[in-house]
Amino acid sequence: MIKKLPIAVVNQIAAGEVVERPVSVAKELIENSLDAGATRIRVEIRGGGAEELTVIDDGDGFLPEDLPLAFASHATSKLSTVHDLEHIGSLGFRGEALASIGAIARARIQSRRPDGEEGWEMRCDGGVESKPQPCGSPPGTRLEIRDLFFNVPARRRFLKAPHAERARIQQLVAELALARLDVDFTLVSDDKELLRLPRNATLAERVGQCFGRDLSRGLLPVSREFDGLKVEGVVGEPDLARRDGKLELTYVNGRLASEKSAVYSVRQAYREFLMGGRFPIYVLHLVLPPNQVDVNIHPRKAEVRFVESRKVAGCLHSTVRSALQARTMTFGEASASEGGVQIRPEMPRARSGFPTSSPSLFETGGGGAGGIGRGAVRDGSSPSAAEPAIVREPQPGAAPNAAERPNPFRRAAGRFLQVMDLYLLLEGDDGLLVVDQHALHERVVYEQLKKQHAERDVQIQRLLVPAVVEVTPGELAWLESVQEQLGSEGLLIEPFGPNAIAVQGMPTVLAKTDPKQLVRALAMGESDDGKSAIGEHIAERFHSMACRGSVMSGDRLTDAEIEELLRVAATLDHPHNCPHGRPTVLTFSSAELERYFRRRC
Amino acid sequence: MKILCDRAALLEAVSVVSSVVPSKTTKPILKNVLLRADSEGIGLFATDLEMAAKVRLDSVKVSKEGTVLLPAKETSALLRELSDPTVTLESTDLRCRIESGGGSFVLLGEDPEQYPAEATVVSGKRLEMPSGVFLRMIQETMFAAAREETRYAINGVLVDAGAGCVRLVATDGRRLAISYENLQTDDDVQFKAVVPLRALNTLARALTEGSKEEIIIEVGEKQVVFTTGQTQLVSQLLDTRFPDYEGVMPKSADTTVEIQKALLEGALRRAAILCAAEMRMVKFEVGDNTLRMIAESSARGRADVSIDAVVKGAGGSINFNPDYILEALRQCDLDEIRLDMSDDSMPAKFTLGESFTYVVMPISGA
Repeated sequence: MIKKLPIAVVNQIAAGEVVERPVSVAKELIENSLDAGATRIRVEIRGGGAEELTVIDDGDGFLPEDLPLAFASHATSKLSTVHDLEHIGSLGFRGEALASIGAIARARIQSRRPDGEEGWEMRCDGGVESKPQPCGSPPGTRLEIRDLFFNVPARRRFLKAPHAERARIQQLVAELALARLDVDFTLVSDDKELLRLPRNATLAERVGQCFGRDLSRGLLPVSREFDGLKVEGVVGEPDLARRDGKLELTYVNGRLASEKSAVYSVRQAYREFLMGGRFPIYVLHLVLPPNQVDVNIHPRKAEVRFVESRKVAGCLHSTVRSALQARTMTFGEASASEGGVQIRPEMPRARSGFPTSSPSLFETGGGGAGGIGRGAVRDGSSPSAAEPAIVREPQPGAAPNAAERPNPFRRAAGRFLQVMDLYLLLEGDDGLLVVDQHALHERVVYEQLKKQHAERDVQIQRLLVPAVVEVTPGELAWLESVQEQLGSEGLLIEPFGPNAIAVQGMPTVLAKTDPKQLVRALAMGESDDGKSAIGEHIAERFHSMACRGSVMSGDRLTDAEIEELLRVAATLDHPHNCPHGRPTVLTFSSAELERYFRRRC
Repeated sequence: MKILCDRAALLEAVSVVSSVVPSKTTKPILKNVLLRADSEGIGLFATDLEMAAKVRLDSVKVSKEGTVLLPAKETSALLRELSDPTVTLESTDLRCRIESGGGSFVLLGEDPEQYPAEATVVSGKRLEMPSGVFLRMIQETMFAAAREETRYAINGVLVDAGAGCVRLVATDGRRLAISYENLQTDDDVQFKAVVPLRALNTLARALTEGSKEEIIIEVGEKQVVFTTGQTQLVSQLLDTRFPDYEGVMPKSADTTVEIQKALLEGALRRAAILCAAEMRMVKFEVGDNTLRMIAESSARGRADVSIDAVVKGAGGSINFNPDYILEALRQCDLDEIRLDMSDDSMPAKFTLGESFTYVVMPISGA
């Protein structure tokens, strides 16, 4: 016999989808606090959050008449019509969180409106709700969740050790805090303060507070505006790179969200500077019109989709790329950190006309720094009068202000020593340089190949039999739009029916490449224009030619050979890394040497 | 099993079947060759599951029949190093003792029952020709096939039989080689089969230049069997659509050049030295009874070589990858060859033998 499930059971099942572990509870509650306009959020946990997890904020609080609906399913104050889904500005919007949590834990809400005379309290024990009662409470909301999964033993068994659950919550608070520099965050675990993030820090400072001080010294600020897209944040020096991608943080309109092509494009920008298997660290905030983003594709909202993903990826790539190329830092010596992140409080709006919203809506936080994140979320929620323009070709936005990283070989003195048949020691402008002969020679040969190639006319090896490649309609549209660009780089293609193209000729430099693989790689790549897309492949070919054509580790070099290598290296623009991203030179500054030998404290 | 046989003959037979043994495999048993002794002699068999080779040796004294599986590499190496003209093989269980001269060696074999069985070949269309001729046809075409292991690449050679003629065709999409031979075939012998390069490579190693011994080619639905003398090679056919090679052949030409092959080969090799490493290109300028070849590299220098030629037609200039032409000339026996060319958007045709034609796509500017 088929029976309709009691609401309590339905909620327990739904809870399983939303609440997997304590960190999911923390996420829902902190996001609620942020949506309520809190400027101060304190998270206290015990036993990794499963025993007790309390979030205290100074936000708007519940209206007493709303309190009875707090634990009801699909009840939310953030959304009322389907139309609103297109303009989601709040972090939560489905109205499931509290109902789910209430169904599988002992929850208690204490809340008072800023203008309310008294606070109200309500409990929900495993789905059994109590009547709201008056209570003493400071303005804001205190949500206490105890004994998570007390009535769902199956779930409880899947919890990790408390320290593992705690680590997840710590990462979560850090991730959320990086989006809201205007909010004060505190995380306390078993009475020990794990995170203390005061308001109005710069982004670099906050990254340091969250993930370790030594990180903040190697962060390069970036800020670029494109037509309909703003990118700002910090990107880490390549030598800070990690073995995992945990500190690749992209925020889209204030929400931490990954988008495949965005992640890929930033990694591409780093590619020449990083070794394989290393992941860059960066925190980037993207602000773009809400109707250019679909946030409703992932149950935990962890992924988004861009309407114009190629263009967003192109903007990200050029922003990160130019920041990396313009580094002022020398190895081991922090000089960029002093400035920290330079986000001007009055960041001019993009020309495209982002929906301008009434500032009073989110004038809850302190003025001053902020800039990032603070406005972004709320911005979107106001219906835009003027339909925002779509993201266009990257345009030179705020030009990177950092000066060119100096070429250390330009002022190297004439003395040198080859050691271990691999390293060259020489005196640089200020200190000792240790050079990897293979890596440096590789860069030299690579640059020569690139230069010769640039001076030459493009030549095409025509194909006897056109190679037909099947592509998706989207890929076809892109390929058609760059057909001329590709042709001028030597790749001759023509549409071949509704979902295929025919390759008629290949650039002679890539003549040995399989035409189908080349086109597939281009179509699936993230590069926006055809010239740079194909340029990447040509560069890749030069990489491998340079690697094979360079002196190796173990090759003993004569003085004349070393002199010549250093002389050519001095003429290069980017001698700091080999084409695969490995560093070519390690600098011990005279200050470091003096410190080490205790000549100076 | 116990046999006594001629060492050189056994070595030759083991080498031929070993050529299909994969050098790397996740199935270790495929590193062996199967030796079966019966009342009439011995048979050797090896396979990599895509192709198989079989050789029979009759001049063997079999004192005890049986089957043994031998490690291919060690067996052929050992037979090569032994000095006696004869060798004795005797197996007990999975071990095989080899005795020759004063030495005694024990090879640890594997269970012959575990080795893939010889596939029964469904024979279909059948051709016969002197094996020396077929070897020449393989050599005239195989070099033009694609080496890369990609989908686009046509890693095989087309065998196209019909209308009293057999053609071998190979292309990598940039150049195409055709070799043909007139045969008295039955009218119903008509097929197109793409034979994997690896099989032809193996076959070529087993054939002798100029040999009059017949080779029998049998083509089934999915397999081809080559039989010559006591050796048999079976291979899967490639299931690919071979490009329409007749459509690719240029029907007319603006210019015809007749050149001494040796002159062209020497001059082109000299010019090619000064091509850029990453972009191989030589410019052919056809003028008043001369062919001028120019190569240029900003890093290395410039070559400018002219040779005599008989030119008919408009003349003009056209760029080629010199490697494509040199590879073909290496297979050419003619003293004088012919080049038919038009402009750089049209394929150029080289006539390199009475039955050997080669088509190359030129290089053009963007």
